This record gives sequence, C-alpha cells and structure tokens, in this order.
Amino acid sequence: MFLVYLVIWGFTLLAGASAVWALAWAVQTGQFRDFREGAASIFDDGEPVGRVTDAFPGEGTPR
Amino acid sequence: MNRSLTIALGIMLTVVLSMAGLVLIPNWQFREMQQHKDDDGNLWPVQLEGAEALGRAEYVSLGCIYCHTQQVRPPNYGADLDRGWGLRRAVPRDYLFDKPHLLGTMRTGPDLANIGARQPSRDWHMLHLYNPVITSPGSTMPPHRFLFERVAATDRAPERAIRLPDESGWILPSARAESLFAYLRSLDKSYDLPEAPQ
Amino acid sequence: MTPSLAQPLPEGLPGDRLSRIQIDRSCRQTVVWYVVSAVAWLLAGSLLALLASIKMHSPGFLADADWLTFGRVRPAHLSTMIYGWGSMAGVGVLLWLQARLSRSRLPLPLLLPVTVVIWNLAVLYGTVRILQGASTGIEWLEFPVEVLAFIGFCMAVVIVASVLMFIRRQVKHTYVSQWYLFGAVLWFPFLYVLGVVLSEAGTVRGVAKAAANWWFAHNVLGLWFTPIGLATAYYMIPKVIGRPVHSYHLSLLGFWTLAIFYNWAGTHHLIGGPLPAWLVTVGIVGSMMMFIPVVTVAVNHHLTMVGHFHHLRTSPTLRFVVLAAMSYTVVSFQGSLTALRAVNEVSHFTHYTIAHAHLGVYAFFTMMMFGAVYYILPRLMNTEWHSARWIRIHFWTTSLGMAIYWLGLTWAGWWQGQLMNDPNVPFLAIVEYTKPWLHSRSLAGVVMTVGHLSFAWLVWNLVRQRGAALIGPTLLKRRKGA
Repeated sequence: MFLVYLVIWGFTLLAGASAVWALAWAVQTGQFRDFREGAASIFDDGEPVGRVTDAFPGEGTPR
Repeated sequence: MNRSLTIALGIMLTVVLSMAGLVLIPNWQFREMQQHKDDDGNLWPVQLEGAEALGRAEYVSLGCIYCHTQQVRPPNYGADLDRGWGLRRAVPRDYLFDKPHLLGTMRTGPDLANIGARQPSRDWHMLHLYNPVITSPGSTMPPHRFLFERVAATDRAPERAIRLPDESGWILPSARAESLFAYLRSLDKSYDLPEAPQ
Repeated sequence: MTPSLAQPLPEGLPGDRLSRIQIDRSCRQTVVWYVVSAVAWLLAGSLLALLASIKMHSPGFLADADWLTFGRVRPAHLSTMIYGWGSMAGVGVLLWLQARLSRSRLPLPLLLPVTVVIWNLAVLYGTVRILQGASTGIEWLEFPVEVLAFIGFCMAVVIVASVLMFIRRQVKHTYVSQWYLFGAVLWFPFLYVLGVVLSEAGTVRGVAKAAANWWFAHNVLGLWFTPIGLATAYYMIPKVIGRPVHSYHLSLLGFWTLAIFYNWAGTHHLIGGPLPAWLVTVGIVGSMMMFIPVVTVAVNHHLTMVGHFHHLRTSPTLRFVVLAAMSYTVVSFQGSLTALRAVNEVSHFTHYTIAHAHLGVYAFFTMMMFGAVYYILPRLMNTEWHSARWIRIHFWTTSLGMAIYWLGLTWAGWWQGQLMNDPNVPFLAIVEYTKPWLHSRSLAGVVMTVGHLSFAWLVWNLVRQRGAALIGPTLLKRRKGA
C-alpha cells in the first residue's frame, strides 16, 4: 500500500513541478502576447474574418 | 515534444490533486476506523454474510438505489429524524464494509437506512415487493412479481407463502426474494456509536 | 449525380483552402463513423429514457420481466447516453477540431476507425449486462469493469492521435479550444481508470468510496464533456459569424480556472451525508468558485455575439451552439447556488436534481454536439443537409421539449423537497403530488425523441449524399436536377 501512496504523491510532485515549468514556457514563448493574433488564428485567406460560414441548406450562399 | 509533455503533466496535476484531496485524504482519515464494540461485546456495524449478503447483491442488481437512499441527515437539516427514518444521523463508520456504497441520490421512495427497524414484518415486505400498491396505495414503485411464484387459492397454505389480501391466492417468494428481505431486515442503525449520540 | 470524393479538386484554389479540404477528407471515415454511431446510441438511449419515464408514473408498464425493471432501465439509459451518444459524438468532434486547429491531417487512419467498432461493442455489451442485472451499482460507472479495458484502449489511441496532431501543428499559436481538448483527452481516461480502481480497491473503505464515486461522476461532466463543449463553442461561434473571440486572454484564464476549481466540486453530491464536514465544505467552495470561469466564458461569448445575433436566423449551427452556450451559463449558476447548504436542504434527493442534470448534459452538451455536427458533417461528405425544414423541426422539438422537461421537474422537485422537509406530510402524498409532473416529463421526452428521429433522418440522408453538392468548403451550389 505504501508503494501506491508513493507513486501517487510522487506523481503529484512531478506534475506540480512541470506545471510551473509549463507556465514559464508559456510566458517565454509569448503565448500570453499577441492576443489579437491568437484569436484570429482560426481564420485564413479562404475563410477570412468577416466571412459567415454557415447557413440553412438552399437558403443562399453564406456571405 | 518537450512542450506537449509539459502541458500534459500540468493538466494531470490538477486532477491528481483533487483525487488526493477528495478521496485519498478522507480515506487516510478512516485508516484506523474499526467496528465499535458495545458493552455487551457486540460489534457494530455488522459485516453481512449469507442470505443478507446475497440480498445486498440483489438490491444492487435490481437498481434500488435509483429511488431509495440509505443516509439519515443530521437533526435540523431536512426532516429525516422527524419522519422516523432513524434514531440518529448516519456517520462514516456505519458504512465501513459497504462495497459498493448504497448511499443513493434520489428519494422517489423513502430512505431505507433503518427500514429493518421501522418495518420488520416479512408479510409486509413480501407483499410490498410483489405489488407495492397493496401495502402503499398510490405508490409508483415497480412491482417485482418476477421474484415470486403465484399460487392459486387452495385449502392448504403452501409453506412460507403469503396470503394475498384480496383472497385470490398466495405468493411464494423465490430465493432471491428471501435474500432481499433478509438484507432489508438487516438495515438497522439503532446501535449507539460514540461519535453519534442518539 | 454525386460528386465523387476521389475526383481531382477544382483548380485555382489558394494553398490554405486546399489544406482545409485535405484535413476534412482525412477526418471523413473516422469522424463520420463516430457521429453515426453516436446518433444510433442517441436513439437507443431515447427509447430507454421513454421507458424509464413512463415507469416512474405508471409502474406497471412492462414490469413483468426483471430485465426491464426500472432499476435496470434507468442506468441503461444513463450509460448509453453518456458512453454511447455523448462520448462518441464528443470524440468525433474533438478529433475534427484538433485536426483543424493544428492544420494537419488526422493520423492513424487504420487504427482510429477500429476504435469506433470496439467502442460500439463495449457500450452494447455493457448495456446488455446492466439489463441482465450485472450493474456495478456505482452511479455513472454501472458498466462492468471489463468494459474499462475496451474504452481505455480506444482513448489511448485518441490520446496518441491528439499528441501527434499537436506535435505536427502548422500554426504558431495554440488556440484556446486546443487547450480544452488536450485537457479533455488526458482527463477522461485518467478519471475512468481511477474511478474503477477506487471503487474496486479494498483499501478504499466505506464512504471514501462514495467520495470517489462523485469525484469521478462530477469530473466526467466538468473535465470531459464541459471542455469538449466549450472548445466547440469557442471555435464555432467565431467561425460561423466570421469574427474573432472578443477577449482572448480571458478565455485562457477561463480554461485554467476551470481546470483548478471544477475538480473539487464533486462532494456537493453528498451534502448532509455521512462524510467529514470539511470534505463537503470543500465541495461547496469549489462549486462557488466555478462562478469565475463560468462568468468568463459567458462574457466572452456574449460580447463576441453582440451585433451578430441576427445570424441565429440563418445558421443552424449557431442556433444550437449559442443556445447550448447560454445553457452552460444557466446550469452552472444553478449548480453553484444549489451547492449552498440552505438550497440543498430542499433540492437534494428530488426531481429538481434530475432537471438540473439534464440542463447540463442535454441543453448544454447535447445541443452543442448537434450544432457541431451541423457544421462538420457537410464538410466531410462534400454534401449539404438535404432539408432546411427537418433542421427546423429538430431545433424546435428539442429546445421546447427540454424547456418543458426542465420547468416541470424543477417545479415538482422543489415542492417535493419542501414537502419532504415537513414531517407532517405523509410520504405517499408527496408521491401523488409529483405524478402530473412526471407525466409532463414523459410528454417532453416524446417531443425530444421526435427531434432525435429528425436528426437521425438528416444525418442518414447526408451520409448517403442526398443533399446539394459542396464544390468547395464554403461554396454551395445546387446540383442540377437534385
């Protein structure tokens, strides 16, 4: 049973340390910068900002 | 590759921590918990065996937990004690041997933590299981006729059979019904525990 | 004539549009199989739901066989909906979303479709075993333990596919939906494995097993279904209306606060129960802290939609997704308030809780999946939905049905709780009181099932390519003579 607790608590500490490192990584690689760029990352030239991409069938091309 | 491993470990941390907090720590709190021995040398709660244990498995198999709870709430919180559902509130030690736990989450029907004390009659339970509206008019509990054999009205009562009140015959409980009743009869938390005065 | 999916693409498309078509095509087999399977389980689960609902007010209905007794039909309904409909739709949607977000093809083209078959067999086996009386008796974990091995294998494959797509991503920025989905695919198998292990382990005793039960069940809602639902909303709302999310850094904050707080709310299912008081209090605190991520998400989605609500008239996806997102806010606020001891004293153990649960898994998650399927499936099959009228029927039956359901059971449950806390009211009188409302729930269920049948009909026609052809991902052209 001791082994089970060791595994669980050990894993917790390992996960905790990497969480701190993950935060540091995120800050260093600029994940928290350029929010406008982040929000717009799902758009592209084919489906740009401003283009509606869904409509009821047969009720006109989405504009 | 390094980054995804880091993010993954960070994600895992959140859920490992909550498991530790909500499950492992209380379980560690209970590590010393044993049965309580009263002045007469009896041990409480009782560990079920034989027909009572089989009956508990029947309770699980038939899904009784979806309408019945087995937890008496504290005084001045709800009306469990005022309804006579127990002499005291339920505490962790009452559930020491429970696997699976049967605390339940719905009270479509009443709480059963002390049903063995409240209603010890075999006739009542068998009629109620066979067709709940016989004992409880307006009840929405499903009839469990499949747990019984129906015997037409005869001169001689079959052994162990229960007479139907409308005189139309008898019902003979199957082994499953007998074990289920044995389990229900065992549901009685009237014993005193030091942590829960009555 | 159906355009062949193998024919050469029209020339002259810009580079990124070609990539989107390739991504969608790589998803086709796996995602379509997951969605079709999910819809089949939706129908099976709806049938079980109707049976269970009718039995609650008319207990003699089909009561002669033990395999159809309410106590078995009810967990069969829950399990088919959670592990059949909900999880399989969720996996199909999350695989497509991650492919789009990483702008890379869906990997493992042989192994992933195999997981669909295995998952279906696992759910079928588990459901049959429940009806046969072999349920474990643990709510939300009623499937026999061996089912874990099969679903666990499928999730391992899904994790590998997710990691591969993340490593191969062609974008510099990791969009917020990707965070949610990465979380979901890691959290769910961990929860399931631990849920089973903690329930079975002899070293976890008594009420600690109850804490484990509700740590598991509540986290399946919060760390599996919720992230998939929110990831979908964060992608679909901006994509449909063509407008980026209003406040992106808030959305990242929302993810981490969800990850931290949601986890701790599980013991609010056991308020007043035989647990150490501190354990219950922690659950209540976690439930209240959930206001933070929920408000974050609500503000974000609302401000993104402001000025664009008129698109609800013209986009099926948006209707379902926005209604689902609003339901998420409502059910979460309700959940936080219901965790307060004073409210819980009345609502606990009543039909109120069932109404609340369905507001979450149906009005939020299920409606969100409907919206996602409306967007995704045409792009996979290169075909449009064959009938706007059936889509409208689907929308109105499911939303009105859910409204009747929630209003009826919330009212019934609240009064059920009030009466139960009055020891002078005989228990059978309380049962009498709830009966008309239980009938209204059956009515709601019939209406919702009509909606599900409409949806199944639409999906069936779409995968058989009965609608107009899609020449490109966003161009709709009516086929001559179609």
